[in-house]
Amino acid sequence: MNFEHCIRCTICVENCPVMRVNPDFPGPKQAGPDAQRFRLDREKTEDEWVLLCSQCKRCEMACPCGVEPAEIILKAQQIYGMGHLRTAAHLLFANNYYLSVLGSLTAPLANRIAATKVGKKIFSAMGIATYIPFPKFRFRTLHSEKKSRTRGIKKVAFFYGCFINFYRPDIGRKIIRLLSSFNIDVVLPPQWCCGLPSLGNGNLTLARFFAQKNASSLSNYIDAGYDIVYSCTSCGQAILHDYPDILEIPQAKKIAENTYNIHEYIVKLMDEGYIKPQFQEMRRKLAYHIPCHLRALGIGYPAAKLMSLIPGLTCEILDDNCCGLSGSYGFKKSNEATAIQIGNSAVARIKKTGAAAIVADCGSCRMQLGGLSGLVTLDPAEVLSEALGITLEKKRKS
Amino acid sequence: MSVTEYDVIIIGAGVAGLTAGAFLAGRGFKVALVTSGEPTACLSTGCIDVCSRDHNPLLGIKELPPEHPFHLVPEKTIREALDNFQAAMMDMVIPYTGALEENRLVLSALGTFKTTCLVPSTMEAAPQDTKDSIHIITFAGLKDFYPSYILSRRKNTKFSVYDAGVSSTMGIASHFEEKEFLESFIVWLKGQNIDEDKIAFPAVLGLESAAEIVKTIATRIGKPVFEIPTIPPSMPGRRLFNALTDYFRKKGGDIYWGWPVIGVEKSGKIIEAVMTASKGRPNSLNGKAFILATGSFVGGGLVAGRETITENIFNLPVHVPGPRETWFENDYFSFNHGIGRAGIKVDSSLRPAGAPWENIFVCGGILADTEILKNGCGHGLALATAHMAAKSCMEYIR
Repeated sequence: MNFEHCIRCTICVENCPVMRVNPDFPGPKQAGPDAQRFRLDREKTEDEWVLLCSQCKRCEMACPCGVEPAEIILKAQQIYGMGHLRTAAHLLFANNYYLSVLGSLTAPLANRIAATKVGKKIFSAMGIATYIPFPKFRFRTLHSEKKSRTRGIKKVAFFYGCFINFYRPDIGRKIIRLLSSFNIDVVLPPQWCCGLPSLGNGNLTLARFFAQKNASSLSNYIDAGYDIVYSCTSCGQAILHDYPDILEIPQAKKIAENTYNIHEYIVKLMDEGYIKPQFQEMRRKLAYHIPCHLRALGIGYPAAKLMSLIPGLTCEILDDNCCGLSGSYGFKKSNEATAIQIGNSAVARIKKTGAAAIVADCGSCRMQLGGLSGLVTLDPAEVLSEALGITLEKKRKS
Repeated sequence: MSVTEYDVIIIGAGVAGLTAGAFLAGRGFKVALVTSGEPTACLSTGCIDVCSRDHNPLLGIKELPPEHPFHLVPEKTIREALDNFQAAMMDMVIPYTGALEENRLVLSALGTFKTTCLVPSTMEAAPQDTKDSIHIITFAGLKDFYPSYILSRRKNTKFSVYDAGVSSTMGIASHFEEKEFLESFIVWLKGQNIDEDKIAFPAVLGLESAAEIVKTIATRIGKPVFEIPTIPPSMPGRRLFNALTDYFRKKGGDIYWGWPVIGVEKSGKIIEAVMTASKGRPNSLNGKAFILATGSFVGGGLVAGRETITENIFNLPVHVPGPRETWFENDYFSFNHGIGRAGIKVDSSLRPAGAPWENIFVCGGILADTEILKNGCGHGLALATAHMAAKSCMEYIR
């Protein structure tokens, strides 16, 4: 929707987590539709504050007129990125994928260096915040997993994303077992970073390069009869929202039509009568932190629907709290204070529920909320796996 | 396409939609609420206007023209709607003061009085006449709140300015949620040695704990304290919206944010499902009954073209007050613009008149002949008709 549809009602302003804590950010209305008029007139707007937007997209979900302030700002960020020298942190996070490939290949060493005082000093010198520990690289990434092929009810190509692949391949393995337990074939298609970190750090060209590689790979799998399933809500956001829009990927429409959030997919198969999961009782209380990008996907909260079927489990939904980290946003020294303040208010609300653990679909939300609260964090797929008795231990011969 | 079954689907997340939803969900029905963005309730003063034509709202309602939708709601139901609302808000810790027999006054940012029925407890101490002397505290840099307006209309009024370090409404409000900030503010306020009878603030005293914060300041200073509603961003409107949302969810309702309805499935006299847009593929929500609460023009329920006014979800017949010449008076600030009477005409069960569907009910600002500005009946009418619609809906399903 055009920026001219903005009626300046300020509902987006009420929803902006950054503006609440950082007075330097003029808010989604001013940085988005208001400033856009000047940008279109090619007036020089020295608006380095566009970089302060964390791209949580809460403004877009709130707008009653269908304007997309975050999208307008994202485009302004790319233009800013082209015209200005990037900081070391921006360069590193835009290339997070390559960094992670290197990190996982040298995992024991890389993790040890990252955890030392010297490592932290190096991070700090590069403008990277260290208030929560940097996630640990895993040598055995998910991509090295063997493929299982049977004749299942459905064929799924799993877009696991960088977070699962490099840091938490165990969650990826659980997701594969979860889907396999429903008699679904899972393959791991060739894939690269979804492109969102590059986009978020002002490198449109690199984002498009990744997106194009992924698109050709995923497109081939769709032609071969596969449904694409993703688990990271930000990867999902990139594939469904950014590929067709800002990244202008030709196959994007076809991909969007055949790509599902993992839990959305399970719910769909249940609705269609293919599967009937039998969840075991789980006497626990969990706080379900809804990642901003899950909200922005417009698919509802399918994992909440599934968890509500687990007997004994209470799951309180909190969808009004951005965690503040927003991928690489909070890892930049310049955004550190903003990220911590937003995160702390989210943690305060979570603690009010009295829940013993936090559930969130997004790896970076979990890093932030776990780091700031000290509570256990879980992916919804881990909760479902537990309720279905799925573990990663090898089956004992009885 | 993902298909999900509900008893009732509500379209619109304003006061009417959320109230009808909580009523039905609280009685065991499976309720989903879809909305394309956040409602105009967020922009409101948070006050519940029932009817401002008379000092006694009930008498005011009796004076309304015969076609006014308030006449479709029995007095018992209006009373029940307001009682339920007050109980719900008490439960959500934003208590409301007032009674159906007697309107109250709220001091506006212009120094005028606004007549309303129920007010948030943060406005309870507002003067009911011009006698009390008032000391206004405002904040450095806060836009669109100028004590001089009030000073020009009231004698015995003074003001002081506090520098909160931030100047946006949301920024100041979130600061008040921090204990240390509140404490240092109270110390400053004590130092002002205020002589006036009451202390007034623009409505920025906290996000969700405003009732508690106002109480704390009043106790510590030993004087009555009240908030003055501001133009948007309006904290009291946002608090009301957040409380209604939380209450609806607490009763078991599901909310789908950012789900604009793009299509309807019908068969015979029955609406079977609504389809909503999402990036990948449309979602379809099946329901036994539907409640339309999309508001009037600003809320997006009604759309005005050059010569016609339409309702674009179910394409219901819209009552248009007359040819375009009659829509607007020359005086911009007139209460008699003909367009204020546009909307959906309904029968005694709040089913749309002249439409073939038997399982759809209409409530809130989208109704015809409300003339909300003239009659001062916004949120009150929304509460009353939402109860009525929910009851009709319940009878229909059973």
